[in-house]
Amino acid sequence: MLTVVTATTDLTLPSPDLARMRGDRLARLQAELVAQDLDGAVLIHGPHVTYATGHIPDAADASHASFRRAVAIVPAEGSPRLHVHGDPGTVVGEVAPALWPELDEDAGALRETILDMIGDPAGKRLAVDSITGAMVRADVLAGADLTDASRVLGPVRLAKTDDEIACIEASQWQAERAMASARDACVPGATRAEVAGAFLAALWAQGAEHNEIDPIFQVMPRTRAGGPRTFNDDVAFPTGIAEAAFETGDLVWVDAGHGYEGYASDYGRTWIVGREPNDAELSCFDRWLTIMDATCAAIRPGATLGDVSQAAIAANGGTRPWLPHFYVGHGVGLESAEMPMAGSDLGEEFDDSFVLAPGMIIVVEPIVWDDGIASYRAEEIVTVTADGHRVLTSAPGYAPFTT
Amino acid sequence: MTGDTSLIAARRDRVLAAMAEREIDVLVLGRQDDANYASGMHRLWTAGTRPFGAGCLVVRETGRTHVLSGWDTGLPPTMTWDDLFPSTWNPRVMAANLAAIPGLTDAKRIGTDEVSPSFRRAAGRLAPDADVVPADDLMAAVRRHKLPAEIDRIRAACAVVWHGVVAAATAGNSPDEPPLTNDQRIGAAVLAMGRLGATIPSSAPIVRQDGADTFIDLGMIVDGYEGGLGALASLRAPIPGNEAPEPPQRLIDSCRPGATGADLAAASEHPGWLVRGVGMGFERPVIDATHGHAETLDADMVVSVRDGNRREIVHITDNGPALLSGRPEEAS
Repeated sequence: MLTVVTATTDLTLPSPDLARMRGDRLARLQAELVAQDLDGAVLIHGPHVTYATGHIPDAADASHASFRRAVAIVPAEGSPRLHVHGDPGTVVGEVAPALWPELDEDAGALRETILDMIGDPAGKRLAVDSITGAMVRADVLAGADLTDASRVLGPVRLAKTDDEIACIEASQWQAERAMASARDACVPGATRAEVAGAFLAALWAQGAEHNEIDPIFQVMPRTRAGGPRTFNDDVAFPTGIAEAAFETGDLVWVDAGHGYEGYASDYGRTWIVGREPNDAELSCFDRWLTIMDATCAAIRPGATLGDVSQAAIAANGGTRPWLPHFYVGHGVGLESAEMPMAGSDLGEEFDDSFVLAPGMIIVVEPIVWDDGIASYRAEEIVTVTADGHRVLTSAPGYAPFTT
Repeated sequence: MTGDTSLIAARRDRVLAAMAEREIDVLVLGRQDDANYASGMHRLWTAGTRPFGAGCLVVRETGRTHVLSGWDTGLPPTMTWDDLFPSTWNPRVMAANLAAIPGLTDAKRIGTDEVSPSFRRAAGRLAPDADVVPADDLMAAVRRHKLPAEIDRIRAACAVVWHGVVAAATAGNSPDEPPLTNDQRIGAAVLAMGRLGATIPSSAPIVRQDGADTFIDLGMIVDGYEGGLGALASLRAPIPGNEAPEPPQRLIDSCRPGATGADLAAASEHPGWLVRGVGMGFERPVIDATHGHAETLDADMVVSVRDGNRREIVHITDNGPALLSGRPEEAS
């Protein structure tokens, strides 16, 4: 059971064994390459590079991240090679000079390093994530049978090691602490960007350097009809656009997360600006808590994603307590939303055939929408354990609509 | 929405003209900066690379831009509701949504700014007659020369960054307070720029000690465009406006129409120098000690010029380089 409390608990930052984590990840990746009869992987998507080598790219805009990509060349056996701009950090494998896969000038060097590490791509089976224009023009991967790297990294990233889970826990711990500053700043007259700035500044003050998403503090309409036009006649969230200053009584959906050793946190809450919640609003929270508890209770080894979705629906009186373009729960790891997803438009058949196993993570995020009254949305990060589940979030517990 | 209607329309028309020139029927853009350039619609910012996916389509035959969005928030006046297609986790649903976009299924040439094996397969089913060709160079060519309104936006973004640099340099400098860590100085900059409405970094912020001084380098995306500044600040005597330390003048002076990358290399004074395009983020050209020496600069390009412990944003004009990097009187 989750609890409603107001006092903060004195917690300490979990301490994962990072060296062990890096070794475990590479071993899992290479075992999967072998299992899928692949000769190697050419990885230029940040989270993939992190999984393979431990290098964590800067939390920069996608344009910068794309030009200044780190490149990991991973043979099915043996040590990987990392080409990196700037400080590689602590990594497994050989560190080599930076490459610019966007630039035609560097396509030859990229091909050379692939030849060196994996051999001539012709006739080989390779996993790749993105292919830049320069790589196409120079036919860097000529003759290779290419598969999406996500088909290799997806399965191995599903169940987290204890060290990965400790990273997510540490990430969430930092985010929750930083949110206290954002909550203080979220007052009538403040803007979304001011509140976001307070959150980000508090992250930096903790030495947390990898914010991964422009923090969302979205004022929600009290009625569906009062919101933007949507394809599914439901609620638009997150729009990423907020210009107006907050006013007293605004209902704000909060969603943010940064990376700790590359692992995402996911902080989701609902706040009311400038006043205490009233009884009608509080009853909305009470319903939400019932649904959250029931949904978490369904998370255990051997249960399916369908079981999780159905538990949420049953606790909500037979209707789905989530937005149709999302899910009632999603995984988190090196990316802020990854598999497994419960209740998505992949469909019931997918959900019913997907069996939970220890180490998997589900961020449970049901929504209660009481049209014309209020809504409540918050998120709890839950990991599947050997005999049930464990909630990684809610360090300070809930003061509904307030923290 | 980024920019006003005429700017968005001008950018879109440039993209359409380049498509006509290269006989590309449909552009599929995965990079957010490319999608924003072509459509004027931006989405929630996340850090780092994204896997390639169809975020924005530009169709030459209809002249329409289509954007992945489940709602009309931020829809620019250059687009209508019918130009949107909703997000989905289901590849089959996505294929159906894309197939419904007029002009895609009978395309002969599809240009992409990046590609993945699965997109190639999907394109083969969606548009069986189409060749999928790289169009990152098309987008780079279109974005190379800035419109006057784009110069204004880059200057405005630089002004925001200036305030951030000043905040990082001056925070907690009172003698009776304990000295701030470098990360706390970044926090002060982030807070100050948040108050100005800016929360999206372009590059990772840098504050580090350089002898007795502190080197600060910030870059932000404001209203879709990047501003930046790298400066050496003496924390005992905070950056005093126009008396700021000298910019990398030799390299900046070399940024004029007709200059080649080799000319810039000859003018550079410190290892690690870099001249690269600036616009809706990091752009081409990339000119450093080992790249871009055959590039030639021309008017209306905007570049970030880093040499030693300074970085400035420079507009290349017919009359030579003009600094866009903010100064206090411009940033108020």
